[in-house]
This record gives sequence, structure tokens and C-alpha cells, in this order.
Amino acid sequence: MRGQGFGFIAPLLVLMFVAFNAPIVYMLGLAFWEKGRGFTLQHYEGLLDAPVYLRVLGNTMRVALVATLANVVIGYPLALWMRGLSNRGRMIALSLVVLPFWVSILVRTYAWIVVLGNGGLVNRALQWSGLTDAPVSFLYNELGVTIGMANVLLPFLVLPLFAAMIRIDDRLLQAAASLGAPPRTIFWKVFFPLTLPALAAGTLLVFILCLGFYVTPAILGGGRVPMISNLLDTLINQIPRWETAAAISTILLIVTLLIFAAYRRLDRKASA
Amino acid sequence: MSEIRLEGVTKRYGTFAAADNVDLAVAQGELVTILGPSGSGKTTLLSLIAGLNKPTSGRIFIGGRDVTDAPAQERNIGLVFQSYALFPHMTVLENVLFPLGVRKIGRAEADRLARDALKLVRLDGLENRRPSQLSGGQQQRVALARAVVFTPDILLLDEPLGALDRKLREELQVELKQLQRSLGVTTLLVTHDQEEALSLSDRIMVLDKGRTQQVAAPTEAYLKPANRFVAEFLGIANFVGLPDGGQALVRPERIRLSGSGAGKPARVVEAIYLGQMVRYHLSLDGEGARPMVAAAPFVGPAYATGERVMVSWDAADLWPVAK
Amino acid sequence: MKRRTFVGAAAAGLPAFSILGAGSARAQVKEIRMIEAGGKSGESVEVGYIEPFTKKTGIKVIRESPNPLGKLRALVESGQTSTVLMELGSGGMLQARNLKLIEPIDWAAVAPQPMFPEAKHEYGFGYQYFSTIMAWRAGAKAPKTWADFFNTKDFPGKRCLPDYPNYAISFALLATGITPDKLFPLDVDTAFKKLTEIKKDIAVWWKAGAQAPQLMKDNEVQYAICWSGRVVGDPAFGVNFAGGMADLSYFTIVKNSKAEDRAAAYKLMHEMSIAANQAKAATVVSYTGPSPELDALLPKDKLAEYPTSKQNKAVQWVENAEWWAANGEAVNKKWEAFKLSL
Repeated sequence: MRGQGFGFIAPLLVLMFVAFNAPIVYMLGLAFWEKGRGFTLQHYEGLLDAPVYLRVLGNTMRVALVATLANVVIGYPLALWMRGLSNRGRMIALSLVVLPFWVSILVRTYAWIVVLGNGGLVNRALQWSGLTDAPVSFLYNELGVTIGMANVLLPFLVLPLFAAMIRIDDRLLQAAASLGAPPRTIFWKVFFPLTLPALAAGTLLVFILCLGFYVTPAILGGGRVPMISNLLDTLINQIPRWETAAAISTILLIVTLLIFAAYRRLDRKASA
Repeated sequence: MSEIRLEGVTKRYGTFAAADNVDLAVAQGELVTILGPSGSGKTTLLSLIAGLNKPTSGRIFIGGRDVTDAPAQERNIGLVFQSYALFPHMTVLENVLFPLGVRKIGRAEADRLARDALKLVRLDGLENRRPSQLSGGQQQRVALARAVVFTPDILLLDEPLGALDRKLREELQVELKQLQRSLGVTTLLVTHDQEEALSLSDRIMVLDKGRTQQVAAPTEAYLKPANRFVAEFLGIANFVGLPDGGQALVRPERIRLSGSGAGKPARVVEAIYLGQMVRYHLSLDGEGARPMVAAAPFVGPAYATGERVMVSWDAADLWPVAK
Repeated sequence: MKRRTFVGAAAAGLPAFSILGAGSARAQVKEIRMIEAGGKSGESVEVGYIEPFTKKTGIKVIRESPNPLGKLRALVESGQTSTVLMELGSGGMLQARNLKLIEPIDWAAVAPQPMFPEAKHEYGFGYQYFSTIMAWRAGAKAPKTWADFFNTKDFPGKRCLPDYPNYAISFALLATGITPDKLFPLDVDTAFKKLTEIKKDIAVWWKAGAQAPQLMKDNEVQYAICWSGRVVGDPAFGVNFAGGMADLSYFTIVKNSKAEDRAAAYKLMHEMSIAANQAKAATVVSYTGPSPELDALLPKDKLAEYPTSKQNKAVQWVENAEWWAANGEAVNKKWEAFKLSL
């Protein structure tokens, strides 16, 4: 019976390996290989000699962290607010959150230019109201990248959070109230800890996606916010130094896996 | 420790009245059961007393204090849900410590109180388990310990044993009753299980469609129901015609069967063995389709299905009920 | 004996068979594939060169875009032979040559009409000149030199520069007073000093050619270094070819491509050398082909807009792709470090 099942699954496994795993294995190999010389660590040594690529990686981590935090600060209250809505209201709010998924990331990114540019809606409103004299620079800096990435990635945080929040039985909160807990205590001691696994999972997902962002930093960062994917694009498509790109990608993969492992550990501890 | 008083409590959702002008007085230390079919408004009533919901009109007093407008946090009520509502991310001990922490009771004192409460419900040794690692009965006991650890003024139990299997339920009924008596806490218990209501309560309040049908001691409600609804809801009801054209209730245990002698002739349609009792479904000669139900001790004479018997009862066991 | 005869016959038959196969395949070439830059440039290739080529030979050309160098490497290393033509910038072509991803052109087979010498490269057919020049939002004070462009005091306004070191570094050096003939080898550190001086006024470093003109239209920036075809002829912008960089896009022959496909590709290259075809392509995009005789065929009023018109070609300098092929990777590290300091 088990053998028969495997027969059905095998083509899928092969497809998975060929389409997803083989390229990664190839990339890992490339990072340790030099044509005609075999195994080598020179691509990593090259990274250490000129640590600028590693600094770009560090910068990417920092920007990703800021964008992820912005996402949490916006996403958590949003999910919380949605939980309190009627079924109808939830449906509408959920559609609005998911809607950007169906709009091309390029269009969304350019939409921010219309909204936040020097002559954009927000700056015109600010100047018209007399709050500022000169346009505020929302774009072409880290703020712009943070806003853009937070917007694109918000659903990845809000959806799992919202799902976790609506699973929380109202009676738990009522029980806490009946036991004498004021609303603030109910939130921090009961509600928030119960959303923590989903928050951690969503945050991690957003962070990892941030690490790989390409379009948004390129456009809304005005080229002033160096991110690892843009560097990889240069190394793969322009120079093309695939070996160096593979070495950087390998480091990125290891860092990501380490973060993921840390999360798994925390999660196990929390649920043990 | 306090008494509970409801005065004309009403809760409307649109035109629908979940609680309709309910009056009730529960004495200090008394255990009163609110009994009714699902949708009768019993849980609504409990949530109004607990402060999870505000009544449309009427007043609620606990210990003489008008708490109608007080939030749940300030009512000092021990509340137990059918679903236990234990905090899944806390251990058993942390759950029981929760109301003490909120009350800013010192760490050592709180720890002592919590461990005492767990001992009271016979869960000592399981302090560091998580709720998901406990059986249903154990979880319900944790909920109970958590609800009594802070010496609440009153205890509200919403179908506390509803999710448990029958054997466990019967065990816990006894425990619950003993616990309530030893604490001397005024208790309101909601259930749809009439046996539970009859066995646990000092008094029963029967609710239907948001209205009080009867408030009485269990035997009184059983033998002398205020109306036909109460008669039929509490156990099995046989109705016999009265000479004045009215109807009277006679409970199955009060019906006598004999092989010969005085009484009405009938045929045994079905004999059901229930352990210590045998339940007979009888068809009285010349009467309607509705069979009469009699219950006889297992040790007496037995009658087989299809056998002819004579049926009789004492006039004193009849209780007139409005149609 | 019998067996030997059979094997011998088979062995003898094999080359004969393959010659036959190649012959029939040559007759069968119905289409060839190219990878090109896309957009208006791709359209100009279609209108100017593919249409007359297909009319003459009956061979269709399938275009695919965009054309990053990485794609070519992937194509060659995976052993694909379906694509014969690859469009590359001058730097890309030399890197592709160094990585052995392309093959020399058989110029005898192309038999081109007269071409500018830099367009007739051993490894590429330089089919399209494009200029990288200074441009500004209409109404802004017009800079005359690169020193003006980098002078943010007398020419106030936000700048938009390419996020490509070969442009930014060269123009920054010209702004320090170095003349184009002394530009190479590039003094990279001096260039970064110059760029650092005005980095506060550089609002955006562009990656896509469309960004700079749009940012000027939106008044996000007032001055930009742009590709000429994106800004010339538009009254919204002022442009100046002086000190601009003339560069070439090349069509190259992909390594391991089929011989019969190559033969067809050379015929297409021949079409690219014909001035009349180049004039037609120039109606689609303001970039021009390599024929020295092209000016005569272009509309007189538009000569100022083209990279190769006599007046413009004279004031520009030609990109030194060889220097970049040798130093590009090292400079790129410094470039990333510079951008981290922004």
C-alpha cells in the first residue's frame, strides 16, 4: 500500500528535485568549484578580502529588520481590528488586505511614487495645509524602501495573524475578565501570548522575503539602499561572476536557515 | 460569600427576548440550577450575572450590591465554562495563579493558595502540566480550582460537566456538590441535563423561551410541576384524565402493575431493563395511541412484552396540570 | 565476412548520411532565434532589418528579451544551440569573449557595406549607436560642460545618475577637467571623490532607462545623465551631447550555435549594414546604425538628435570597453562600497 502511494508521488518528487532542489545544489557546487581546478574556497576568500559584499549583506539584514518591524507595528493592530469586525466587515477588510496580491509589484511600487513623491498627493496635502514648506523626502531613501516593502509584504503577516486571532476563543478572554483581569492584562497575559507563534512565523516569513527583495529597493530606494538581490543581479547578469554570486547566496542561505532554526527552537520551547 | 438577586432582568436582541423579566433570589450558600432546553436563555442569564453582557432592563444584586453596571472584572465571580476556557499557554499552576496575580497577592501566599486549591480538586502533582496534557475531567477540575482559588463571592457554572462522558460526569457531580458545600459558596449552575439538576441542586429554576417556568426544590418540581412544560421536561410524564375534564400527572414510579386484581387492563408493549429498574411501555385498553410508562424495581415480579397486566395508582400521586 | 562488410558499409555510410542531413537541414532553416534588448530598440530591429531579411530569404526571426549577460552564460553552459544571435553592450561583448560564450564573426560571410571601424569588431556587429548624455528639465539652467553638470551651486537642482559605475565614474572624471583622450585608464579614486562632493544632491541612482526622464517630468530631479534616445526630441527636456559617451550595441554569435543558423544570421547582419535599412530603424528609436553615409538619408531637422550625426559624433568620445572588461569586477566592489556610504 505504501509502495503504491510512492508510485504516485514519485513523479512529483522528481519534478520538485529537478525544478527546485537541483538548481540550489548546482549553486552550492558553483560556490566551491573553479573550472579546471576542482574544489576551491577561493570564492569565499575573495569575499573576505573585499568585505564590501558582506557589508551589503549586513545592510540588507538591517533594512529587512526595519521593514519587518514596520510591518509588525502596522500589521498587528490591523489584524486585531479585523478580528473585532462583523463577518461582513472581516470579509471586506480581508479582501482589501489581499487585493494588492493581485496587482503587479511593479505597479504597486510605482503607485507609491504617485502618492509619496515630491509632487505626490501626500506632499501636496502637507504643503497645502501649511504643515511643511518644502516637500518631505519620503522616497529614494530607506524610508521609501521600508514603506514599499511593508506594503507589499503586509498580507504575509496579517493573514496568519488574523487566522490565529480568530481561532482564539472569546471565552478565554471572558474567563480572564471574570477572574478579575483588566483589559490590558487580558491582552498581554492571554491574547498576545496566544498570537505569538503566528506573529513569530509571520515575522520570520516577512523577514526572509525582505532579504530577497529586488524591485522595491531598486525603485523606491533610488539606488541608494544597496540590497543583496540587486548586487546578485549585477554579479549574475552583468559581470557575470556566478561563482561569487553563488558564494554570497550560500552565505545568505545559511543565515536564513540559522534564523529559521532559531525560530523553530523558540517555537518548540513555547509549546513544550 | 453572598446571595444573588435578580429583579426583572431582561435581555433583548432586537425583538427576541433571550431573558424575559426574570426574578430570582439565591440564598447564601445555596446551589441553584438553571435548567432548560437549549436556546431557553440559561447561558444568557449566566452571562448577565457574570457581567459579560449587559441586561436591557432589570437589576442584578450580588451580596446586596447593585452590580448591574459593573464590569466583569469587578464582580468577584468564579466562572466555569463548559469548554473549560483554560489558558493553553500556561501550566496548570499558572492558570490557577492567574486570578491571584491579578489581585496582587504576594508570590508565596499565592503559591500556597493555588496549591491548596489544586489539592482540593485532587490535582496535586500535575501543577506543571499544560492543559492539553490533561484529560477532560482533569481540565474541568483545573477550571474549578481557578474559579474558587480567590474566594469569589459567588460561583457560576455553565454546563460544567457537559463535555464529559457519563461515568465521569456522575463522579464529578458528587465531587462538585461536596466542594460547593465545604466552601459554602453561593452557586448557580446551568445545565440541560435534568438528572444533574435533580441530583445536585438545593433548588431548580426551569427556564423556557427566556421565561421562568418554576423555581422549586427538586422533588417538588418533579412531583408538583407548575405546568405541563416543567412536567414533561423533568423526567417522564404520564397524563391521565380527571373527572372534571382536567389532566393530572402521574410519574412512572408511582404506577403499580399486577397480573390480576383492580385497575385498568393494559398490554405490555415494551419492557426495557435499565439495571436496577425495569421500564414498561403500556397500552391501556380503549385509550389513545400515547402509551403509558411505568417503572418498577427490578426485584419485583416481571412482565414480558405482550403480556396483559392491570394498571393502577393512588389518587394522592396525581398532580393536576393545566393543559 | 558478412558481418565485416556490413559494419564497413555502415561506417562508410555514416559521414555520407550526416552530410546529407546537414544539407537538408540547411535547406530547412525556417527560423532563427535572437535575444535582444526589447522595447523600442527591439521594434527598430524588426522594422529596419528583420522585415527586409525575411522578405528576401523567407526565414523568420524570433525575438526574445531582455538580454542580460547571465542569460547567455546559462544558454551556453547548458548546451543549448537554439539561439544564434545575442545582443550585448560593448562591455558585455568583451566579457562574453573572455568567458568564451561567443564566437568570432565571419566578416567575409557578412560582406557588409561600409561601416564605422569600431562597429566592425572581431566578435560583434555594432548595429546601434547610443549616447549617454546630460539632460535637464525644461526651464532649468542649461549646463554646457560636465563641470557645469557637477556644479550644484551655480546649477542648483537634484541630480539623477545611472547606477552603473562605467557612466558615473567617467563623467565625474570629465567634470574634474580631464579631457576625453586622457580619460583611460580611469582614475577611479578621484572620480569617487568628485561623486562624494555632490552625493547629497543626487536624489536617485537609476537602473532602468525610463526612470531618469520620468523623474525629471515629475520634478523629482532637475538634471540627469540619460540615454539619448529617452530624451531627445521631447520639449520637456534640454539635452547636450557635449562630452557625451558614444557606445555601441553589438549582435554577437552564440557559441555552439548551428552552422546553418549562423549562415542565416550573417545574412541578417548584412541587412543591418545597409544604410537605407538603418534609416528606417532610426524612425522607430533615435539610435543610429554604423553606416558613415547614414546622415544623408535621415531627416535634416532631426540630425541633432542622433548619436552618429556629424555634429554629435564629433563632440562625443567612445567608451573603452576593453578597460572595463579588465577592471569591471574590481571597480564594482568600490562602487558597492561607495553606495553603502550614501
